[in-house]
Amino acid sequence: MQISKKIVVLGHFGVGKTSLIRRFVTDTFSDNYKVTIGVHITKKVVEFSSGNNVSLILWDLEGTDDIESIRNAYLLGSHGVVFVFDITRPSTFQHLNEDIKIVSGKIPNVPLLIVGNKTDLVDPVELKSTLAENNISVDYLTSAKTGDAVNDLFSKLAHQLLNDA
Amino acid sequence: MKEQDKIEILRDILFADDHDFEEKISKRVGFLEETIQEREKLSQKVDPIIAYQLDEFTKSIPETLGPVITETLKNQIKINKEAVVDALYPVLGKLVKKYVAQEMKLLSEKMNSQLSFLSFWKRKFKSSVTGQNENELMFGDLASAKVEQVLLIEKDSGILKASYSKTDAMDEEMVSGMLTAIKSFVEDAFNQRNQDLELIEYELYQIHIQSFATHYIAVVISGNFALRAKNELQDIIFDFYNSFMAMNVDLIFETSNSKKSIVPVPKSRIEKELAKYFGNANF
Repeated sequence: MQISKKIVVLGHFGVGKTSLIRRFVTDTFSDNYKVTIGVHITKKVVEFSSGNNVSLILWDLEGTDDIESIRNAYLLGSHGVVFVFDITRPSTFQHLNEDIKIVSGKIPNVPLLIVGNKTDLVDPVELKSTLAENNISVDYLTSAKTGDAVNDLFSKLAHQLLNDA
Repeated sequence: MKEQDKIEILRDILFADDHDFEEKISKRVGFLEETIQEREKLSQKVDPIIAYQLDEFTKSIPETLGPVITETLKNQIKINKEAVVDALYPVLGKLVKKYVAQEMKLLSEKMNSQLSFLSFWKRKFKSSVTGQNENELMFGDLASAKVEQVLLIEKDSGILKASYSKTDAMDEEMVSGMLTAIKSFVEDAFNQRNQDLELIEYELYQIHIQSFATHYIAVVISGNFALRAKNELQDIIFDFYNSFMAMNVDLIFETSNSKKSIVPVPKSRIEKELAKYFGNANF
C-alpha cells in the first residue's frame, strides 16, 4: 500500500528549507543560495519494512519574515508541516512561538515539526543555552550541509502520517 | 335435611343466573385464547385492521413526516454542502452547458456559412506566401483534438487521486502538486475566489482544467482544441465525475450498512473508470 501526503515546509528567508529538502530527496548540498519564488514541489517515497510506503509531496514555500502573509491556498489540505529556523540567526526564531501559533491556526490538527537548521555552524553547548534563553523547544536540530538528522526528520513524519492513516 | 344441604340448595337457587353467565364468559375467553394462539385465525381478524392503519399512515406521511424529512435534508445539505455541490455540479453544469452550447452552435453555424468564403481565400493566400500545400493547410485546420493524459486531483492538497495516460509521462504526483500550486496562485493573485483557472496553453498541448467542489480534473490535450472539442470534453468529464461521485456514495452506503470504516475508493477502480471514459475520446 502507498499513501500520498502533502507536507509544507515553511520558515523565514534563507533558513535552509530548500537545502533540507534537496538533502533529503537527492542527498546533495549546494552553497549557492537561490531564493525560492512562489513554491517548488518535489516528491520522495519513504519506504517501510511493513511494505507500506508514504509518498511525501513536499511543498517548499518561499521564505517570508511575516508568517501571516503566507498564501492560504498553499497551505490548504496539508497533512503535515515542517517549520524551519536558522539557529545562527536569532531574527528567524525570536518570535518562533507566535509564528507556530499562527501556523497551527491556519493548519490545525496535523503533525507540526519544529526544526533548527545549520547545526554545523554552531557549538552544541552554546546552541543549548540559546534555545533555553529563547524558550524554544525543537523537534529536530539538523544540518542540510552534513545531512545530520535530515532523514530522521522526514522518516519520523512519514511514520506518523502512516500511523494516522 | 342437614343444615349444610339447605344452604347448598339455597345457593343454587340464588346464583343460578350467575352460573350461566360464568359459563358463557369462560367459553368466550376460551375462544379468544384460541384465536390469539392460532396465528391464522388471529391474522384473519388483525390483518384488515393493520392494512387499514398502514393505508392511513401512508396517506398521512406527506403531512406528518414531510416537514421532518425536509428539515433533515436541509440540515444535511447545510452540513455537507461540498458533497451536495459535488453531486449536483455535473448534472446542473451539464444542463446549463448544453443549452449554452446549443445556442453557440447555431451562432457558429451562421458565422461559418459567412466565413467559409473568406477562409478559402485566406488559405489560398497563406499557401502562396508560405509555399505550403493548400490541402495540408486545410488538414491542419481540421486536425482533431486528442486526450493525452487525465489527472484527477484533490483540490486543496493537490494529491493525485488517479490518472490515465496514453504515453509515459513525468512524475504525475509532482505534476499534480505543481498544477495545484499554479492554479492556487492564479486564483489567489487575481483575488477571484469564486473563479477557477480553466486553461493552460503551451505550444502543442493544452491543459483543460475542470474544477468541482472537492476535486478537479486536468486533461492534457493535443491538436486543435476548439470550442466544439471543449464542449465534448466537458461532457465526458461531467459523465466521469458523476460516476466517480456515485462510486463514493455507493461506498458510504456499503460501509454504513456493514459498520465498516470508510476506506476511499481504490485507485485502480477510479483509473479503470478514467480509461473507460477518456480512453477512446476523440473530438
